[in-house]
Amino acid sequence: MADKDKNVSRRNFLREGVWGALLGGVGIGGGVVAVKSAKGDTVWQIDPDKCTQCGNCATYCVLEESAVKCVHAHELCGYCDLCTGYLEPEPPGLDTGAENELCPTGAIKRKFVEDPYYEYHIEEPLCIGCGKCVKGCGAFGNGSLYLQVRHDRCLNCNECAIAVACPSEAFKRVPASDPYILKGEH
Amino acid sequence: MKKGMTKFELLTCIVVVLAIAVGVASLLMLDVTGKGGNRLRGDFVYDIGDQVVVDPALILYDELAESIKTGLEATRAIAVDNGGNVYVAGGAKVVVFDGAGQQINKFDFGGDVGCIALGRDGLVFAGVKDHVEVVSPDLSKRVSWGSLGDRAVLTSIAIDEDYVFVADAGNRVVVRYDMQGEVVGYIGRRDEDRNIGGFVIPSPYFDIAVADDGLLRVVNPGAHRIEAYTFDGDLEFSWGKAGSDIEDFCGCCNPVNFAIASDGSFITCEKGLDRVKVYGADEKFVGVVAGPEQLIGKGNAAVCQTPAQCQSGGFDVAVDAAGKVYVLDTIKNVVRIFEAKGGGQ
Repeated sequence: MADKDKNVSRRNFLREGVWGALLGGVGIGGGVVAVKSAKGDTVWQIDPDKCTQCGNCATYCVLEESAVKCVHAHELCGYCDLCTGYLEPEPPGLDTGAENELCPTGAIKRKFVEDPYYEYHIEEPLCIGCGKCVKGCGAFGNGSLYLQVRHDRCLNCNECAIAVACPSEAFKRVPASDPYILKGEH
Repeated sequence: MKKGMTKFELLTCIVVVLAIAVGVASLLMLDVTGKGGNRLRGDFVYDIGDQVVVDPALILYDELAESIKTGLEATRAIAVDNGGNVYVAGGAKVVVFDGAGQQINKFDFGGDVGCIALGRDGLVFAGVKDHVEVVSPDLSKRVSWGSLGDRAVLTSIAIDEDYVFVADAGNRVVVRYDMQGEVVGYIGRRDEDRNIGGFVIPSPYFDIAVADDGLLRVVNPGAHRIEAYTFDGDLEFSWGKAGSDIEDFCGCCNPVNFAIASDGSFITCEKGLDRVKVYGADEKFVGVVAGPEQLIGKGNAAVCQTPAQCQSGGFDVAVDAAGKVYVLDTIKNVVRIFEAKGGGQ
Protein backbone atom coordinates (compact mmCIF):
# COMPACT_ATOMS: atom_id res chain seq x y z
CA MET A 1 0.00 0.00 0.00
CA ALA A 2 2.73 2.29 0.87
CA ASP A 3 4.51 1.48 -2.41
CA LYS A 4 1.29 2.09 -4.38
CA ASP A 5 0.79 5.46 -2.69
CA LYS A 6 4.37 6.25 -3.39
CA ASN A 7 3.90 5.42 -7.14
CA VAL A 8 0.67 7.39 -7.38
CA SER A 9 2.25 10.28 -5.62
CA ARG A 10 5.16 10.33 -8.09
CA ARG A 11 2.75 10.17 -11.04
CA ASN A 12 0.65 12.94 -9.53
CA PHE A 13 3.73 14.97 -8.89
CA LEU A 14 4.83 14.65 -12.53
CA ARG A 15 1.33 15.41 -13.85
CA GLU A 16 0.93 18.39 -11.59
CA GLY A 17 4.43 19.49 -12.42
CA VAL A 18 3.65 19.50 -16.13
CA TRP A 19 0.42 21.40 -15.53
CA GLY A 20 2.22 23.84 -13.31
CA ALA A 21 4.91 24.40 -15.94
CA LEU A 22 2.26 24.90 -18.59
CA LEU A 23 0.34 27.40 -16.47
CA GLY A 24 3.54 29.16 -15.56
CA GLY A 25 4.48 29.39 -19.23
CA VAL A 26 1.10 30.78 -20.13
CA GLY A 27 1.40 33.30 -17.32
CA ILE A 28 4.87 34.41 -18.36
CA GLY A 29 3.83 34.53 -22.01
CA GLY A 30 0.77 36.55 -21.12
CA GLY A 31 2.88 38.91 -19.06
CA VAL A 32 5.33 39.43 -21.94
CA VAL A 33 2.47 40.07 -24.36
CA ALA A 34 0.90 42.48 -21.89
CA VAL A 35 4.16 44.40 -21.45
CA LYS A 36 4.72 44.49 -25.21
CA SER A 37 1.16 45.66 -25.76
CA ALA A 38 1.55 48.35 -23.15
CA LYS A 39 4.72 49.63 -24.89
CA GLY A 40 2.95 49.40 -28.22
CA ASP A 41 0.25 51.75 -26.98
CA THR A 42 2.54 54.74 -27.21
CA VAL A 43 5.19 55.95 -29.63
CA TRP A 44 7.72 58.77 -29.62
CA GLN A 45 6.83 62.07 -31.24
CA ILE A 46 8.06 65.67 -31.36
CA ASP A 47 5.89 68.49 -30.05
CA PRO A 48 6.41 71.19 -32.71
CA ASP A 49 5.49 73.90 -30.22
CA LYS A 50 8.49 72.95 -28.07
CA CYS A 51 11.02 72.03 -30.75
CA THR A 52 13.88 74.52 -31.08
CA GLN A 53 15.49 72.85 -34.13
CA CYS A 54 18.74 72.26 -32.25
CA GLY A 55 19.91 69.69 -34.81
CA ASN A 56 20.25 66.83 -32.32
CA CYS A 57 17.55 64.81 -34.10
CA ALA A 58 19.90 64.39 -37.04
CA THR A 59 22.78 62.94 -35.02
CA TYR A 60 21.49 61.29 -31.86
CA CYS A 61 19.09 58.74 -33.38
CA VAL A 62 20.38 55.17 -33.09
CA LEU A 63 19.57 54.72 -36.77
CA GLU A 64 22.26 55.69 -39.24
CA GLU A 65 19.66 57.84 -41.01
CA SER A 66 17.49 59.52 -38.40
CA ALA A 67 13.83 58.58 -38.03
CA VAL A 68 13.10 62.30 -37.72
CA LYS A 69 12.13 64.07 -40.94
CA CYS A 70 10.85 67.47 -41.91
CA VAL A 71 7.15 67.56 -42.79
CA HIS A 72 5.10 70.33 -44.32
CA ALA A 73 1.70 71.70 -43.28
CA HIS A 74 0.51 73.00 -46.64
CA GLU A 75 -2.51 74.69 -45.10
CA LEU A 76 -0.20 76.93 -43.06
CA CYS A 77 2.24 77.67 -45.89
CA GLY A 78 2.31 81.09 -47.50
CA TYR A 79 3.47 79.57 -50.82
CA CYS A 80 6.04 82.37 -50.94
CA ASP A 81 8.41 82.91 -53.82
CA LEU A 82 11.04 84.14 -51.38
CA CYS A 83 10.63 81.18 -49.02
CA THR A 84 13.03 81.43 -46.09
CA GLY A 85 12.77 77.69 -45.49
CA TYR A 86 13.85 76.99 -49.03
CA LEU A 87 16.32 79.77 -49.87
CA GLU A 88 19.55 80.81 -48.20
CA PRO A 89 19.24 83.97 -46.07
CA GLU A 90 21.10 85.94 -48.72
CA PRO A 91 20.64 83.91 -51.91
CA PRO A 92 22.51 84.92 -55.06
CA GLY A 93 19.24 84.39 -56.93
CA LEU A 94 15.61 83.48 -56.33
CA ASP A 95 15.62 80.23 -58.28
CA THR A 96 16.22 76.52 -57.83
CA GLY A 97 19.99 76.77 -58.23
CA ALA A 98 21.81 74.66 -55.65
CA GLU A 99 23.75 77.73 -54.52
CA ASN A 100 20.46 79.35 -53.49
CA GLU A 101 18.99 76.41 -51.65
CA LEU A 102 19.04 76.39 -47.87
CA CYS A 103 18.84 72.61 -47.46
CA PRO A 104 22.35 71.11 -47.66
CA THR A 105 20.94 67.82 -48.96
CA GLY A 106 18.50 69.38 -51.43
CA ALA A 107 15.56 67.69 -49.76
CA ILE A 108 13.06 70.48 -50.41
CA LYS A 109 11.55 70.73 -53.88
CA ARG A 110 9.39 73.51 -55.17
CA LYS A 111 6.84 73.73 -57.94
CA PHE A 112 5.41 76.84 -59.57
CA VAL A 113 1.69 77.24 -58.92
CA GLU A 114 0.83 80.71 -60.23
CA ASP A 115 2.56 84.05 -60.04
CA PRO A 116 3.95 84.61 -57.40
CA TYR A 117 3.14 81.37 -55.57
CA TYR A 118 5.20 78.18 -55.22
CA GLU A 119 4.37 74.87 -53.60
CA TYR A 120 7.00 73.12 -51.49
CA HIS A 121 7.36 69.46 -50.56
CA ILE A 122 9.93 67.32 -48.76
CA GLU A 123 11.84 64.47 -50.44
CA GLU A 124 12.02 62.37 -47.30
CA PRO A 125 14.83 60.02 -48.39
CA LEU A 126 17.09 63.09 -48.67
CA CYS A 127 16.05 64.71 -45.39
CA ILE A 128 18.28 64.03 -42.37
CA GLY A 129 16.10 65.91 -39.86
CA CYS A 130 18.61 68.69 -39.11
CA GLY A 131 15.83 71.29 -38.89
CA LYS A 132 17.68 74.02 -40.77
CA CYS A 133 14.70 74.70 -43.03
CA VAL A 134 12.36 74.60 -40.02
CA LYS A 135 14.40 77.36 -38.42
CA GLY A 136 14.25 79.51 -41.55
CA CYS A 137 10.53 78.97 -42.02
CA GLY A 138 9.72 79.65 -38.37
CA ALA A 139 11.89 82.74 -38.10
CA PHE A 140 10.36 84.64 -41.01
CA GLY A 141 7.38 82.66 -42.26
CA ASN A 142 4.41 80.81 -40.84
CA GLY A 143 6.24 77.82 -39.39
CA SER A 144 4.63 75.41 -41.83
CA LEU A 145 7.80 73.28 -41.97
CA TYR A 146 8.38 71.22 -38.81
CA LEU A 147 9.99 68.02 -37.59
CA GLN A 148 8.21 64.75 -36.88
CA VAL A 149 9.28 61.20 -36.01
CA ARG A 150 8.37 59.02 -38.99
CA HIS A 151 6.98 55.76 -37.68
CA ASP A 152 7.84 53.75 -40.74
CA ARG A 153 11.45 54.24 -39.62
CA CYS A 154 11.38 54.69 -35.83
CA LEU A 155 12.31 51.64 -33.75
CA ASN A 156 10.32 53.02 -30.81
CA CYS A 157 13.18 52.37 -28.37
CA ASN A 158 12.24 52.28 -24.71
CA GLU A 159 14.75 55.04 -24.06
CA CYS A 160 14.92 57.14 -27.21
CA ALA A 161 18.43 58.51 -27.68
CA ILE A 162 17.08 61.72 -29.24
CA ALA A 163 14.62 62.22 -26.40
CA VAL A 164 17.51 62.04 -23.93
CA ALA A 165 19.50 64.56 -25.98
CA CYS A 166 16.56 66.90 -26.64
CA PRO A 167 17.26 70.21 -24.85
CA SER A 168 13.68 71.47 -24.95
CA GLU A 169 11.80 68.34 -23.86
CA ALA A 170 9.99 68.35 -27.16
CA PHE A 171 10.14 64.55 -27.40
CA LYS A 172 7.25 62.81 -25.75
CA ARG A 173 5.22 59.64 -25.96
CA VAL A 174 1.88 59.88 -27.73
CA PRO A 175 -0.82 57.26 -28.31
CA ALA A 176 0.09 54.85 -31.11
CA SER A 177 -3.41 55.35 -32.46
CA ASP A 178 -2.64 59.08 -32.96
CA PRO A 179 1.09 59.00 -33.63
CA TYR A 180 1.67 62.46 -35.17
CA ILE A 181 1.33 65.97 -33.78
CA LEU A 182 0.22 67.73 -36.91
CA LYS A 183 0.41 71.50 -37.01
CA GLY A 184 -2.45 72.04 -39.39
CA GLU A 185 -4.77 70.31 -36.95
CA HIS A 186 -3.92 72.67 -34.07
CA MET B 1 50.83 25.31 -3.78
CA LYS B 2 52.21 28.19 -5.74
CA LYS B 3 52.58 31.45 -3.92
CA GLY B 4 51.78 34.82 -5.65
CA MET B 5 51.00 35.35 -9.33
CA THR B 6 53.04 34.40 -12.28
CA LYS B 7 54.21 37.09 -14.70
CA PHE B 8 51.58 35.94 -17.19
CA GLU B 9 48.78 36.27 -14.64
CA LEU B 10 50.04 39.69 -13.60
CA LEU B 11 50.12 40.84 -17.23
CA THR B 12 46.61 39.50 -17.77
CA CYS B 13 45.39 41.37 -14.73
CA ILE B 14 46.94 44.62 -15.96
CA VAL B 15 45.38 44.19 -19.40
CA VAL B 16 41.97 43.50 -17.88
CA VAL B 17 42.19 46.51 -15.55
CA LEU B 18 43.28 48.73 -18.47
CA ALA B 19 40.42 47.45 -20.64
CA ILE B 20 37.91 48.19 -17.88
CA ALA B 21 39.40 51.67 -17.39
CA VAL B 22 39.21 52.41 -21.12
CA GLY B 23 35.64 51.12 -21.21
CA VAL B 24 34.58 53.26 -18.26
CA ALA B 25 36.37 56.30 -19.70
CA SER B 26 34.63 55.77 -23.05
CA LEU B 27 31.26 55.54 -21.37
CA LEU B 28 31.96 58.68 -19.40
CA MET B 29 33.05 60.55 -22.53
CA LEU B 30 30.06 59.38 -24.57
CA ASP B 31 27.63 62.28 -24.90
CA VAL B 32 24.12 60.99 -24.58
CA THR B 33 22.72 64.17 -23.09
CA GLY B 34 22.98 66.39 -26.15
CA LYS B 35 25.03 68.96 -24.25
CA GLY B 36 27.92 68.39 -26.61
CA GLY B 37 25.92 69.84 -29.48
CA ASN B 38 24.67 68.28 -32.67
CA ARG B 39 28.08 67.71 -34.29
CA LEU B 40 26.64 68.82 -37.64
CA ARG B 41 28.77 70.58 -40.24
CA GLY B 42 28.51 74.34 -40.50
CA ASP B 43 26.34 74.24 -43.61
CA PHE B 44 23.63 72.45 -41.62
CA VAL B 45 23.33 75.40 -39.24
CA TYR B 46 20.90 78.24 -39.96
CA ASP B 47 22.98 81.35 -39.49
CA ILE B 48 21.84 84.93 -39.96
CA GLY B 49 24.26 86.31 -37.42
CA ASP B 50 25.68 88.83 -39.88
CA GLN B 51 22.27 90.29 -40.59
CA VAL B 52 21.43 90.70 -36.93
CA VAL B 53 24.17 93.27 -36.46
CA VAL B 54 23.27 96.83 -37.43
CA ASP B 55 25.90 99.48 -38.00
CA PRO B 56 25.65 101.67 -34.87
CA ALA B 57 26.04 104.77 -37.02
CA LEU B 58 22.69 103.96 -38.64
CA ILE B 59 20.80 103.86 -35.35
CA LEU B 60 19.22 107.26 -35.01
CA TYR B 61 17.07 106.71 -31.92
CA ASP B 62 17.56 106.02 -28.23
CA GLU B 63 15.20 103.85 -26.25
CA LEU B 64 13.73 105.48 -23.17
CA ALA B 65 14.41 103.66 -19.92
CA GLU B 66 10.75 103.31 -19.03
CA SER B 67 8.46 101.14 -21.13
CA ILE B 68 4.71 100.74 -20.73
CA LYS B 69 3.83 97.38 -19.24
CA THR B 70 0.47 96.67 -20.79
CA GLY B 71 -0.61 93.83 -18.50
CA LEU B 72 -2.22 92.31 -21.59
CA GLU B 73 -1.59 88.97 -23.25
CA ALA B 74 -1.26 88.39 -26.98
CA THR B 75 -0.83 92.07 -27.77
CA ARG B 76 -1.43 92.87 -31.41
CA ALA B 77 -1.90 96.55 -32.24
CA ILE B 78 -1.01 100.04 -31.05
CA ALA B 79 -2.25 103.56 -31.77
CA VAL B 80 -1.44 106.98 -30.34
CA ASP B 81 -3.87 109.91 -30.21
CA ASN B 82 -3.12 113.60 -30.56
CA GLY B 83 -2.89 113.99 -26.80
CA GLY B 84 -0.12 111.43 -26.52
CA ASN B 85 -2.33 108.70 -25.07
CA VAL B 86 -1.35 105.20 -26.09
CA TYR B 87 -3.96 102.59 -27.07
CA VAL B 88 -2.91 98.93 -27.03
CA ALA B 89 -4.98 95.96 -28.22
CA GLY B 90 -4.37 92.54 -26.74
CA GLY B 91 -6.77 89.63 -26.77
CA ALA B 92 -10.29 91.04 -26.57
CA LYS B 93 -9.24 94.21 -24.78
CA VAL B 94 -8.01 97.65 -25.69
CA VAL B 95 -6.28 99.50 -22.86
CA VAL B 96 -5.48 103.22 -22.90
CA PHE B 97 -2.42 104.66 -21.15
CA ASP B 98 -1.55 108.31 -20.60
CA GLY B 99 1.84 109.79 -21.38
CA ALA B 100 3.15 108.66 -17.99
CA GLY B 101 2.17 105.07 -18.69
CA GLN B 102 -0.81 105.03 -16.32
CA GLN B 103 -3.92 103.19 -17.43
CA ILE B 104 -6.78 105.64 -17.98
CA ASN B 105 -9.39 103.60 -19.86
CA LYS B 106 -10.23 100.08 -20.95
CA PHE B 107 -12.54 98.52 -23.55
CA ASP B 108 -13.61 94.90 -23.85
CA PHE B 109 -14.74 93.88 -27.32
CA GLY B 110 -15.65 90.30 -26.50
CA GLY B 111 -13.51 88.88 -29.30
CA ASP B 112 -9.87 89.04 -30.40
CA VAL B 113 -8.97 92.53 -31.57
CA GLY B 114 -6.63 92.45 -34.57
CA CYS B 115 -6.32 96.18 -35.18
CA ILE B 116 -7.34 99.58 -33.85
CA ALA B 117 -7.59 103.14 -35.13
CA LEU B 118 -8.69 106.40 -33.57
CA GLY B 119 -11.38 108.60 -35.11
CA ARG B 120 -12.85 111.97 -34.37
CA ASP B 121 -14.27 112.68 -30.90
CA GLY B 122 -12.18 109.94 -29.40
CA LEU B 123 -14.03 107.15 -31.21
CA VAL B 124 -12.16 103.87 -31.14
CA PHE B 125 -12.42 101.65 -34.22
CA ALA B 126 -11.47 98.03 -33.63
CA GLY B 127 -11.21 95.16 -36.10
CA VAL B 128 -12.66 92.17 -34.27
CA LYS B 129 -11.85 89.13 -36.42
CA ASP B 130 -14.32 89.65 -39.30
CA HIS B 131 -15.98 92.99 -38.55
CA VAL B 132 -15.44 96.51 -37.25
CA GLU B 133 -16.72 97.77 -33.92
CA VAL B 134 -16.88 101.45 -33.05
CA VAL B 135 -17.09 102.66 -29.45
CA SER B 136 -17.12 106.07 -27.85
CA PRO B 137 -14.56 106.82 -25.12
CA ASP B 138 -17.19 106.75 -22.38
CA LEU B 139 -18.66 103.51 -23.80
CA SER B 140 -22.04 105.24 -24.24
CA LYS B 141 -22.14 104.35 -27.93
CA ARG B 142 -21.16 101.09 -29.51
CA VAL B 143 -21.84 100.08 -33.11
CA SER B 144 -21.00 96.84 -34.90
CA TRP B 145 -20.52 96.95 -38.65
CA GLY B 146 -21.38 93.98 -40.85
CA SER B 147 -19.19 90.91 -41.16
CA LEU B 148 -16.84 90.63 -44.12
CA GLY B 149 -17.31 86.86 -44.22
CA ASP B 150 -15.83 83.72 -42.74
CA ARG B 151 -12.47 84.22 -44.43
CA ALA B 152 -12.05 87.77 -43.15
CA VAL B 153 -9.07 88.56 -40.91
CA LEU B 154 -8.96 92.28 -40.17
CA THR B 155 -5.42 93.50 -39.63
CA SER B 156 -5.48 97.28 -40.01
CA ILE B 157 -7.81 100.28 -40.04
CA ALA B 158 -7.06 103.73 -41.48
CA ILE B 159 -9.36 106.71 -41.12
CA ASP B 160 -9.75 109.69 -43.40
CA GLU B 161 -12.18 112.60 -42.90
CA ASP B 162 -14.90 110.86 -44.91
CA TYR B 163 -13.93 107.22 -45.13
CA VAL B 164 -12.72 104.29 -43.10
CA PHE B 165 -10.40 101.81 -44.78
CA VAL B 166 -10.11 98.28 -43.45
CA ALA B 167 -7.38 95.82 -44.44
CA ASP B 168 -8.72 92.27 -44.69
CA ALA B 169 -5.77 89.85 -44.85
CA GLY B 170 -8.04 86.84 -45.24
CA ASN B 171 -9.67 88.17 -48.40
CA ARG B 172 -6.54 90.06 -49.49
CA VAL B 173 -8.34 93.31 -50.07
CA VAL B 174 -8.81 96.75 -48.55
CA VAL B 175 -12.45 97.61 -47.93
CA ARG B 176 -13.55 101.25 -48.13
CA TYR B 177 -16.44 102.24 -45.86
CA ASP B 178 -18.28 105.50 -45.35
CA MET B 179 -18.52 106.79 -41.81
CA GLN B 180 -21.81 104.98 -41.28
CA GLY B 181 -20.23 101.61 -41.98
CA GLU B 182 -21.56 101.09 -45.50
CA VAL B 183 -19.12 99.48 -47.94
CA VAL B 184 -18.46 101.87 -50.82
CA GLY B 185 -15.57 100.13 -52.58
CA TYR B 186 -12.69 97.70 -52.65
CA ILE B 187 -9.01 98.39 -53.24
CA GLY B 188 -6.26 96.08 -54.45
CA ARG B 189 -8.11 93.20 -56.05
CA ARG B 190 -6.09 91.66 -58.86
CA ASP B 191 -7.00 93.51 -62.05
CA GLU B 192 -4.66 93.30 -65.03
CA ASP B 193 -6.52 96.09 -66.85
CA ARG B 194 -5.68 98.45 -63.99
CA ASN B 195 -2.16 97.05 -63.61
CA ILE B 196 -2.94 95.73 -60.14
CA GLY B 197 -1.25 92.45 -59.32
CA GLY B 198 -3.10 91.89 -56.06
CA PHE B 199 -1.83 91.59 -52.53
CA VAL B 200 0.48 88.73 -51.52
CA ILE B 201 -0.23 88.09 -47.84
CA PRO B 202 1.39 84.89 -46.54
CA SER B 203 0.69 85.64 -42.89
CA PRO B 204 -1.84 87.84 -41.07
CA TYR B 205 0.12 91.07 -41.40
CA PHE B 206 -1.38 93.59 -43.79
CA ASP B 207 -1.11 97.24 -42.76
CA ILE B 208 -2.53 100.44 -44.21
CA ALA B 209 -2.41 104.19 -43.48
CA VAL B 210 -3.69 107.36 -45.12
CA ALA B 211 -0.90 109.79 -45.97
CA ASP B 212 -1.14 113.57 -46.08
CA ASP B 213 -0.94 113.48 -49.89
CA GLY B 214 -4.43 111.96 -49.93
CA LEU B 215 -3.29 108.51 -51.03
CA LEU B 216 -3.79 105.29 -49.14
CA ARG B 217 -0.55 103.45 -48.38
CA VAL B 218 -0.90 99.68 -48.31
CA VAL B 219 1.79 97.17 -47.43
CA ASN B 220 2.04 94.35 -49.96
CA PRO B 221 4.14 92.13 -47.66
CA GLY B 222 4.81 89.20 -49.99
CA ALA B 223 5.99 91.67 -52.62
CA HIS B 224 8.12 93.52 -50.03
CA ARG B 225 6.76 96.92 -50.89
CA ILE B 226 4.42 99.70 -49.88
CA GLU B 227 1.89 100.63 -52.54
CA ALA B 228 0.03 103.93 -52.93
CA TYR B 229 -3.61 103.87 -54.06
CA THR B 230 -6.21 106.50 -54.71
CA PHE B 231 -9.38 106.05 -52.71
CA ASP B 232 -10.99 104.75 -55.91
CA GLY B 233 -8.43 101.97 -56.09
CA ASP B 234 -6.00 103.16 -58.75
CA LEU B 235 -2.43 102.09 -58.09
CA GLU B 236 -0.26 105.20 -58.33
CA PHE B 237 3.20 103.96 -57.38
CA SER B 238 5.05 101.66 -55.00
CA TRP B 239 8.41 101.45 -53.27
CA GLY B 240 10.56 98.93 -51.39
CA LYS B 241 12.35 95.75 -52.37
CA ALA B 242 13.26 92.37 -50.93
CA GLY B 243 16.68 91.81 -49.42
CA SER B 244 18.57 91.48 -46.19
CA ASP B 245 20.50 94.73 -46.60
CA ILE B 246 19.45 97.31 -44.08
CA GLU B 247 17.59 99.45 -46.62
CA ASP B 248 15.59 96.45 -47.91
CA PHE B 249 12.73 94.41 -46.47
CA CYS B 250 13.92 91.00 -45.29
CA GLY B 251 12.43 87.51 -45.17
CA CYS B 252 9.38 86.21 -46.97
CA CYS B 253 6.96 88.98 -46.15
CA ASN B 254 7.81 92.37 -44.80
CA PRO B 255 7.22 95.03 -43.60
CA VAL B 256 4.54 93.75 -41.26
CA ASN B 257 3.46 97.14 -39.96
CA PHE B 258 4.23 100.80 -40.49
CA ALA B 259 3.26 104.29 -39.34
CA ILE B 260 3.47 107.67 -41.02
CA ALA B 261 5.01 110.52 -39.02
CA SER B 262 3.81 114.12 -39.15
CA ASP B 263 6.71 115.03 -41.48
CA GLY B 264 5.59 112.36 -43.94
CA SER B 265 8.36 109.87 -43.13
CA PHE B 266 7.59 106.17 -42.76
CA ILE B 267 8.44 104.06 -39.70
CA THR B 268 8.44 100.38 -40.69
CA CYS B 269 8.47 97.17 -38.65
CA GLU B 270 9.90 93.89 -39.94
CA LYS B 271 9.42 90.46 -38.41
CA GLY B 272 11.87 87.58 -38.40
CA LEU B 273 14.79 89.93 -38.38
CA ASP B 274 13.05 92.38 -36.08
CA ARG B 275 13.95 95.83 -37.33
CA VAL B 276 12.25 99.19 -36.95
CA LYS B 277 13.49 101.61 -39.61
CA VAL B 278 12.83 105.08 -40.93
CA TYR B 279 12.25 106.01 -44.58
CA GLY B 280 11.83 109.62 -45.62
CA ALA B 281 8.73 111.06 -47.23
CA ASP B 282 10.60 110.47 -50.49
CA GLU B 283 10.68 106.73 -49.61
CA LYS B 284 14.46 106.69 -49.27
CA PHE B 285 16.05 104.82 -46.35
CA VAL B 286 17.06 107.22 -43.58
CA GLY B 287 18.15 105.09 -40.64
CA VAL B 288 17.23 102.65 -37.91
CA VAL B 289 15.07 103.14 -34.84
CA ALA B 290 16.09 99.78 -33.37
CA GLY B 291 17.67 96.61 -34.71
CA PRO B 292 17.35 92.93 -33.76
CA GLU B 293 20.00 93.15 -31.05
CA GLN B 294 18.07 95.91 -29.28
CA LEU B 295 14.64 94.46 -29.85
CA ILE B 296 15.28 90.77 -29.24
CA GLY B 297 18.56 90.47 -27.42
CA LYS B 298 22.19 91.47 -27.73
CA GLY B 299 24.52 88.80 -29.05
CA ASN B 300 21.58 86.60 -29.99
CA ALA B 301 22.36 85.39 -33.49
CA ALA B 302 19.04 83.60 -33.78
CA VAL B 303 16.25 86.11 -34.15
CA CYS B 304 13.78 83.88 -32.33
CA GLN B 305 14.28 80.68 -30.38
CA THR B 306 10.90 79.14 -29.69
CA PRO B 307 7.96 78.73 -32.05
CA ALA B 308 5.93 81.01 -29.79
CA GLN B 309 8.55 83.75 -30.13
CA CYS B 310 8.76 83.30 -33.88
CA GLN B 311 5.02 83.53 -34.36
CA SER B 312 4.54 86.56 -32.13
CA GLY B 313 7.46 88.55 -33.46
CA GLY B 314 5.43 90.89 -35.65
CA PHE B 315 5.80 94.13 -33.74
CA ASP B 316 3.48 97.10 -34.34
CA VAL B 317 4.50 100.73 -34.38
CA ALA B 318 2.95 104.15 -33.85
CA VAL B 319 4.40 107.64 -33.87
CA ASP B 320 3.15 110.72 -32.02
CA ALA B 321 3.02 114.33 -33.15
CA ALA B 322 6.45 115.01 -31.64
CA GLY B 323 8.05 112.16 -33.55
CA LYS B 324 8.36 109.81 -30.60
CA VAL B 325 8.17 106.21 -31.82
CA TYR B 326 6.12 103.66 -29.86
CA VAL B 327 7.00 100.03 -30.63
CA LEU B 328 4.59 97.38 -29.39
CA ASP B 329 6.78 94.44 -28.38
CA THR B 330 4.36 91.57 -28.92
CA ILE B 331 6.74 89.06 -27.31
CA LYS B 332 7.07 90.87 -23.98
CA ASN B 333 3.70 92.65 -24.30
CA VAL B 334 5.20 96.04 -23.49
CA VAL B 335 5.36 99.34 -25.33
CA ARG B 336 8.93 100.45 -25.92
CA ILE B 337 9.44 104.13 -26.57
CA PHE B 338 12.18 105.61 -28.77
CA GLU B 339 13.25 109.21 -29.19
CA ALA B 340 15.44 110.63 -31.90
CA LYS B 341 19.01 111.09 -30.70
CA GLY B 342 19.65 114.69 -29.74
CA GLY B 343 15.92 115.29 -29.35
CA GLY B 344 15.30 116.02 -33.02
CA GLN B 345 12.87 114.09 -35.19
